[in-house]
Amino acid sequence: MEENVSKVRSFSTRREFYRQFRRKSYAQELWGRFVKNKTAVLGLAIFFVILMLAILAPLLADYNSVVIKLNVSERLQKPGAGHIFGTDELGRDIFARVIYGARNSLTISFISVAFALTLGGILGAISGYFGGVVDNGIMRVMDVFLCLPEILMALAFVAVFGTSIPNLIISAGLSFSPKFARIVRSAVLSVRGSEYLEAARSIGARDFYIIINHVIINCIGPIIVQVTLYIAHAILIISSLSFIGLGVQSPAPEWGNMLSSGREYMRDASYLVVSPGLAIFFTILSLNLLGDGLRDTLDPRLKQ
Amino acid sequence: MIVYIIKRIFLMIPIILALTFVVFSIVSLTPSDAAYAILGSEYTEENGAQLRAELGLDKPFFVRYFKYIVGLAQGDMGISYINKAPVVDQLKARFPNTFKITIMSMTFSVLIGLPIGVVTATKPNSFLSRLSLVIGMMGISIPGFWLGMLMILFFAVKLGWLPSSGVDEGFRSLILPSLTLGINFLASVMRTTRSSMMETVRTDYVRTARSKGLSERKVIFDHALGNALMPTITVVGVQVGTLLGSMVLTETVFAIPGTGRLLVEAINKRDMPTVLGALVLLGVCVAVCNLVVDIIYAYIDPRIKAQYTGRT
Amino acid sequence: MEEKRTAASGNLLEIENLVIQYVSNDEITHAVNGIDLQIPVGKTLGLVGETGAGKTTTALSILNLVPAPQGRILSGTVKVEGNDVLRMNEKQLQAFRGNSVAMIFQDPMTALNPIKTVGDQIAEGIAVHKNLNKAAAFEEAMSMLELVGIPSGRAREYPHQFSGGMKQRVVIAIALACNPLLLIADEPTTALDVTIQAQVLKLINELRVKYQMSMLMITHDLGIVAEVCDAVAIMYAGKIVEYGTLEDIFDHFSHPYTKGLFDSLPNIEDRRAELKPIKGLIPDPTNLPGGCSFHPRCNYCTPECTQGEPFVRQLSETHVVRCNLYRDAGRNAL
Repeated sequence: MEENVSKVRSFSTRREFYRQFRRKSYAQELWGRFVKNKTAVLGLAIFFVILMLAILAPLLADYNSVVIKLNVSERLQKPGAGHIFGTDELGRDIFARVIYGARNSLTISFISVAFALTLGGILGAISGYFGGVVDNGIMRVMDVFLCLPEILMALAFVAVFGTSIPNLIISAGLSFSPKFARIVRSAVLSVRGSEYLEAARSIGARDFYIIINHVIINCIGPIIVQVTLYIAHAILIISSLSFIGLGVQSPAPEWGNMLSSGREYMRDASYLVVSPGLAIFFTILSLNLLGDGLRDTLDPRLKQ
Repeated sequence: MIVYIIKRIFLMIPIILALTFVVFSIVSLTPSDAAYAILGSEYTEENGAQLRAELGLDKPFFVRYFKYIVGLAQGDMGISYINKAPVVDQLKARFPNTFKITIMSMTFSVLIGLPIGVVTATKPNSFLSRLSLVIGMMGISIPGFWLGMLMILFFAVKLGWLPSSGVDEGFRSLILPSLTLGINFLASVMRTTRSSMMETVRTDYVRTARSKGLSERKVIFDHALGNALMPTITVVGVQVGTLLGSMVLTETVFAIPGTGRLLVEAINKRDMPTVLGALVLLGVCVAVCNLVVDIIYAYIDPRIKAQYTGRT
Repeated sequence: MEEKRTAASGNLLEIENLVIQYVSNDEITHAVNGIDLQIPVGKTLGLVGETGAGKTTTALSILNLVPAPQGRILSGTVKVEGNDVLRMNEKQLQAFRGNSVAMIFQDPMTALNPIKTVGDQIAEGIAVHKNLNKAAAFEEAMSMLELVGIPSGRAREYPHQFSGGMKQRVVIAIALACNPLLLIADEPTTALDVTIQAQVLKLINELRVKYQMSMLMITHDLGIVAEVCDAVAIMYAGKIVEYGTLEDIFDHFSHPYTKGLFDSLPNIEDRRAELKPIKGLIPDPTNLPGGCSFHPRCNYCTPECTQGEPFVRQLSETHVVRCNLYRDAGRNAL
């Protein structure tokens, strides 16, 4: 990242400051590197498909009439024409429920990770900026949270505060914030060690942007990677909790609770548990591939 | 070395205290009323107040916490709201299953994952190596509870080789749950070992070892592996926590009467003492695992030991 | 003291036409581009050049330790006592390394295994090459430590318990443990504090004389060359541009690059003189300039220098220079 130091110019307007992020050559270089990693591209492609299906779900199936409406006469139909993934024990089309499930899972995951990033980022910045006792205190607390397994934390939270979507988001967010706090904190510390902070104190807005610029540049790579991996993790936690009945509740479609209710019938109707499971698997897999690929792109090893 | 172990065990005490504090605080935030939960339909204002006084629920937070800690030291975790039995007894009955499955899956994962990780690192472009990358990626992405269901479908329903649930058949009942958990863990171990071995093999000291004319075997196993193990062990330590978290789900899928399922049941029934007890127990397990990891670490890396014994 | 082994008279080390490349993703790094070197028995050759000139790669090739698969030896032979190292099989190499040829690496901080005692690390090579059991090898390791100036009682300590200079002494002990014929020292003092540099250099020199070893001293410091070397090879961008005895190079240097190296040394007698660095930068080894690699930075460059290989001129029995200036002139064209 050092090459960016020499390219930092002073900015007279905010606009100039933001314009530099559109340096085409650097972005193009990164993309070129990324594309070489075939598995990463595969991950991106798969995730993109899933994302599109989730976004376009209302166009493909109407929520009220298809996803949650009971249709007992059509129950437990094998996959075939009319129902690509078959129907579940209450006659609902599984494909429709899967893509709406994607909407739920992805939305909750995105918000959890965004929450974690905000909370962790702020704490990390405060920690790095002030140092000393504040830093120590915050980092110790973060360490404790880092040790607790995420699922158990989520369980504890849900046990106490009840199962609702905001609670899921908060508990996942709390579990994820320590890592973000660490990343931002080390970025702040590395900027703090340079002269820019001194300049900011004496001059003003112009250099403030330079500082933010540097903090962001220092941590944007690891943050992007961690966000990707944590979205995958969040999906796992949410579907796990829903599976044991402590997450998203029926009749709302969620891959975890679909697997749970499908369990009873799985001996004779195994398709009930195949498609939601595959959905979870491919979403997590694609995000993991993408995250790994991003990590390799943004932080390449020295040429050996 | 013994000194280090003893010091480390003593360090566990504040950790466990902090752990119980965190869990206790979270649990005591529950808005539900214990007296109401216990008395159920027999609840009246007087009963409720009397029960609360008996249970000490009207006392301030730190008093309750202190009492809990004292009780804990004596092996008393309170009484379950639901079945009025001591929490400790329930945990005692259920923990062995959890313990067995944990040990089995960890053993399986390390015994298979570690060698594969080492071998594939020394020949990074071979077919086996690339295959292991693919399997590793799939292994860490597959949700444990789904894998469990697939295992049941295949091994129990289709092939009929192994029981699909419960612990009636002793050891055989534990195979599928252990495999399910183990696959996830194995993928982690394999990936970490491979990547840390690949890094270690490129270091200067491995180059020095080669320049001395040592056999390749000695270079890999004597010089590279020891150093490569350290990140692997760290990851294993961290993953144990995740493993115990996944245990909850695995026990549900396979209907194993273990600590994880106890926790879930207790949550559903709002049986706070049991929730608290189960969480504390699982937390202690994680802490003990971290302790073991630290000790192994110190055994391998003399720099860590030196920090604690003061022999620098 | 170990009895010295006699090698065949003549050249202990002969490198001919060595070409080594590093290949990564889409780039080819031309590390060594056809060099010839000889080291007679009992003599010391200094290999001088800036970072990136290909010196370490050359040194590694003598032990056949160029990291594969990125490193590819395209052609050439490296003969030690007449045996081509590049064509040895694994077993032969293992008997050869540490035994006939040993290397002292540049960075002592990373050259030692942090989780093994220094005694063990010295004893390993001894056990293998001298066929001793562990205890006996360890005993010898302890006496090697004494030889390099470290109390033998410290043999059971770990590398992190030693300072940089002492770590380097351990590395030296490892290298000399089996009494090699040829010692390769790759910038052995560069990573050390200035005050320690002289000590370590003195130690290396003393031991070299004591064991009557030949030595390849890789350095960018002409002062070190003057102290310990019998002959000098100047390396630039993977090629040897000038080669000769110590007198040839120090008193009659002929290549513009060599001149540049000497000129860039500050002159203590004339404090008001300006420093004369060599203009320009080391070329990118993935994209070397055509013709003579030095031509963009050369004050004597002519059009014919930009294309084709520079003329190789034997200025005397011992002195060779690779420069178009000497196509016609016999000497001292600078």
